[in-house]
Amino acid sequence: MSGEMLEFRLKIARGPKFVLEAEGALPLQGVTAIAGPSGGGKTTLLRALAGLDMADRADIRFGGQVWEDDAQRLPPEQRRVGFVFQDAALFPHLNVAENIRYGARRRGIQSYDAILDALDLHALMTRPVAGLSGGEARRVALARALASNPAILFLDEPLSGLDQARKEDLMPYIGRAVAEARVPALYVTHSRAEIAAMADRVMGLENGRLTGWKSPPVRLAADVIAAKGETIRVVIPGAPEDASGARMVLPRIAEPGERIGLGVRAESLLVSTQHPGRTDAVLLLPARVVEAEGGLTVNVFGQNVVLPRGGPYAIGAEVWLSILEVSPRPQAGDSAEIRP
Amino acid sequence: MSVWPSVWLTLQLAAVTTVILMLIAIPLGWWLATTRARTRPLFEAITALPLVLPPTVLGFYLLILMRPDSAIGGLWVKATGSTLAFSFPGLVVASVIYSLPFAVQPMQSAFTAVPRSALDAARTLGASGRDALFTVALPLARRGFLTGAVLSFAHTIGEFGVVLMVGGNIPGRTRVVSIEVFNSVETLDYATAHLLSYWLLVLSLSVLTLVYFLNGRGGGARVG
Repeated sequence: MSGEMLEFRLKIARGPKFVLEAEGALPLQGVTAIAGPSGGGKTTLLRALAGLDMADRADIRFGGQVWEDDAQRLPPEQRRVGFVFQDAALFPHLNVAENIRYGARRRGIQSYDAILDALDLHALMTRPVAGLSGGEARRVALARALASNPAILFLDEPLSGLDQARKEDLMPYIGRAVAEARVPALYVTHSRAEIAAMADRVMGLENGRLTGWKSPPVRLAADVIAAKGETIRVVIPGAPEDASGARMVLPRIAEPGERIGLGVRAESLLVSTQHPGRTDAVLLLPARVVEAEGGLTVNVFGQNVVLPRGGPYAIGAEVWLSILEVSPRPQAGDSAEIRP
Repeated sequence: MSVWPSVWLTLQLAAVTTVILMLIAIPLGWWLATTRARTRPLFEAITALPLVLPPTVLGFYLLILMRPDSAIGGLWVKATGSTLAFSFPGLVVASVIYSLPFAVQPMQSAFTAVPRSALDAARTLGASGRDALFTVALPLARRGFLTGAVLSFAHTIGEFGVVLMVGGNIPGRTRVVSIEVFNSVETLDYATAHLLSYWLLVLSLSVLTLVYFLNGRGGGARVG
């Protein structure tokens, strides 16, 4: 992890009932989820960091750059935050291409084809935004933010208000686009599925206070070995031919030869010392405990996987991982560490 | 006697007044729509004053201000060599003040209806506040702009009291159509009064129909 951080100390009073008082340092790498219940201050925090709302007291440093302190305050247009709003917030008087060009032109960006590719937007470019579906509008909003070459991306519940199927369609797009743009992101959500699919780490926020790092989603790498129509077949790297529990079928978010990431929510993961026999698991993997302090690190076919919970396991113990559900994302990410 | 000089004068006055008014209404309407200053109601009241004040009262105060021995009137005489009262520029000043609410209020409500998140998005995409005003807020408030401009134009054409107080009744210089109608009736020239009244009526009706048409058309583009 590089040393660059987004450091902040904020106090924002919104009426007598709600006060956000947050102090933290978030690494400028990968996707950091800010998770917590609605009304906890997640949006308030993002808006204050982006300079859209005035804080009562603010001290914000982005890497080496002061965004805000007692003496100065950078306006939002100079903070280079790519902000994806809950309601997409597209400009209704401009079409899709003009929306995306709005930020790019102001930041001197000529070409953003890779972002349009990743979000599959070429066919929509001449459409007026009024006719877009909810999912299309979110993709355009994300492309618009990324095309402006932001130093950091803020995603404020970018999938809220969409139905479950649409959310699952969109998640791989977001993962691919964020990976393509190589930009750190703050992802505000209360959805555990989104955290599992997107986040490299998770910070909690409740009642206006940061509640500390939560255990990150378990992340496994998987290789795409075949594709057929809308589906792909993936295998956990290093698994022998006969390990049928190490293979599964997924929607087509990547192509054969590529490596993807599988996010696993803590509640979708069971550890047992015995083979569980008949099971609903989508993946059933043999593993060996390599570290038992703090969390539990296990080795799966050479891949070290950090589990959120410890357990009564000794180093070297053989265990079985039953994984009931995965949230795939197109790139493996940094948290899935592969050792040959 | 020809009515054309007064028709021409009226159209010139309405055009110049409308242009100046819209240049004022954009920043003033924007400020009123976005400010959190506690003095806002006072400024809204001042803007609305011409709606309730008798034109004679407004005209009287303007006349006092435009007198060559007053500060403003004196400055004007020094700068141009002629008096502000009873001149075309004087009429313009009076009309701008008299029609101010008709330009500012539609602008203000249109700006108020612009979604906040669109403006926020513009700022995070690198637009300064002024840039966002002209490239996002104003295009989205264009109906308010059109309404304000059309109403200002029509209202200026229809004014009588303030013009009479400030401009008097000088043929070709300050005698506008509404005063021409008054004169025609006074001199029992009902044919001219009929003609001018009829066309003023037709013009006003057309303009208002246009305004209501613009305001009623479709829900507009709004993104959910």
